[in-house]
Amino acid sequence: MTKKLKIFVFMLVLTFNFSLLTFVDAKVYIDITSPALRRLPISIDSKGDKEAEIVEEIIKDDLFYTGFFVDAAYDVSGAEIVVKIEVKSSDKLEAIVSVVDVIEVRSILRKRYEASRDIIRALAHSVSNDIFEVITGRKGVFRTRIAYIVKSSGKREIYLMDWDGHNPRPLVSGGLISSHHWSMDGRYIVYSSEVGKIWRIYLVDLERYEKSMLFQSKGLNLVGNISNDHQVVFSSSRDGSPEIYIMDISGKGYRKLTRSYGIDVSPVFSPDGSKIAFVSDRGGTPQIYVMSLQGGELKRVTFEGNYNTSPAWSPDGKWIAFVGRINGKNQIFMVKSDGTDLRQLTDTGNNEGPSFSPDGLFIAFDSDRDGTHGIYVMRIDGEGQRRITPRGVIARAPEWSPYK
Amino acid sequence: MKKVLIILMVFLVFGCAKKYVKETAEGPAKEEAVTEETGISEKEVVEEGLYATKEGKVGEEEITEMAGIAGKEDVFKDIYFDFDKYDIRPDARPTLDEIASWMNKNNNTNIIIEGHCDERGTNEYNLALGEKRARATKDYLISLGVSPSRINIITYGEERPQCTEHNEDCWQLNRRAHFVVTE
Repeated sequence: MTKKLKIFVFMLVLTFNFSLLTFVDAKVYIDITSPALRRLPISIDSKGDKEAEIVEEIIKDDLFYTGFFVDAAYDVSGAEIVVKIEVKSSDKLEAIVSVVDVIEVRSILRKRYEASRDIIRALAHSVSNDIFEVITGRKGVFRTRIAYIVKSSGKREIYLMDWDGHNPRPLVSGGLISSHHWSMDGRYIVYSSEVGKIWRIYLVDLERYEKSMLFQSKGLNLVGNISNDHQVVFSSSRDGSPEIYIMDISGKGYRKLTRSYGIDVSPVFSPDGSKIAFVSDRGGTPQIYVMSLQGGELKRVTFEGNYNTSPAWSPDGKWIAFVGRINGKNQIFMVKSDGTDLRQLTDTGNNEGPSFSPDGLFIAFDSDRDGTHGIYVMRIDGEGQRRITPRGVIARAPEWSPYK
Repeated sequence: MKKVLIILMVFLVFGCAKKYVKETAEGPAKEEAVTEETGISEKEVVEEGLYATKEGKVGEEEITEMAGIAGKEDVFKDIYFDFDKYDIRPDARPTLDEIASWMNKNNNTNIIIEGHCDERGTNEYNLALGEKRARATKDYLISLGVSPSRINIITYGEERPQCTEHNEDCWQLNRRAHFVVTE
């Protein structure tokens, strides 16, 4: 074929497919619920200047971290999926992405992206999300964020960062901050803070960029999360002992849910809002319990060891991740919400504050295994544990945002 | 042959495109969504500034610590607790007895009891445990005749340690109730 013809055909292909979003239905490339997962060999290449390299590196980092893909460069059988990215940068960035099924010889994604140059990472993560979705059928988390606490010279601030640790930026400071949580729609962050020896609960509205105070009283007030119908669960010792309460997001109409002498703390709504997991020492040592909001049935969920705290629900409500003390150190565990199928996920250093990603595939947590506390992520089978905050920053208590 | 191949390729590509294109309103909209989405990052930057300025509106309570009362330092010693426990130990009682007696003599004073924990537990549970320690201390003083209205409590959990070594000697020093005398 002459060179002219080649170019002609290439241009035809480009122009006709260029701005259509083509999604294939029916073929499932990766069934992530299948226990015996085969890694899909994929090749990812880019064309363009240094921006193309950056975009390619981010996409590779995103996709390979999921554990569902293997780089075809290292797989003898060759790529089954070929991804090509062309990046052009002028006053803005433009990326044209094509994903081709090599086995069936067909295009499964062709899309054009445009973004300003300073948000190149967001553009790359958007591409990762689309590739992930077209292959697994599930939404990617590569544009989600993690809210966490940074400690520095007496200050504690809530920061946000990208799921991979990039772009850290401060969100809130003021007082001794604790117990920050996202609302399930991702619009709000609640947190507690002690200022002038009083513990208060605050609400940050990320849409309106406003902060308001929701609740204060004498005693300790530690907030939990916000359900889909905008109920806020929290622990308060206003009546003498830390107990579980719920109130409306307007701060009105709080009511008490537990009545015990000891400590009831760290409440979190299940994703469907029907249950609350919390920590109680009513049995003599801190353990995790699950309470049904309808009927008030109470079920103990942890039975191993004498210190189990910090519950976090998986997005499908089937699992609870928590911190259990074993051999004198804190480790991340996972258990089914009925108390069965206990698994230990970490074993090095002290590991605390687990939080699931909104697709339920990853857990963020903090660890002191490298000396100072930093934020780590891992896959839910415990594999791929890696640090995402820089050394030299004391970072704790990650809370993974919902999808945007 | 080559020409046939080219034509076939062209048809293949167009043919495939026709078969698999999902022409939904989502098509073009999705593209817009991306450009919109990527614009959100810029919005967040503005956000931070607002929070910084709204900070100042939070009310703060001024606590003036009382200075210069003779012998106060000797009386208000820290008392210590066992690991994961908030009951008052026998070795704490002499200190608490002395404090109660001092407070009964100095009627115009109030105190704040701070509850603290060592680093080994998790942060939220330690805040609750610290509170229980402060409260148990307050209850003990009340039982010795000190009026409840003169005693406020606050917890700092593991957040304000006295020392930072990772050994039992330091941990014990951190598992404490600490007294602040105020006017």
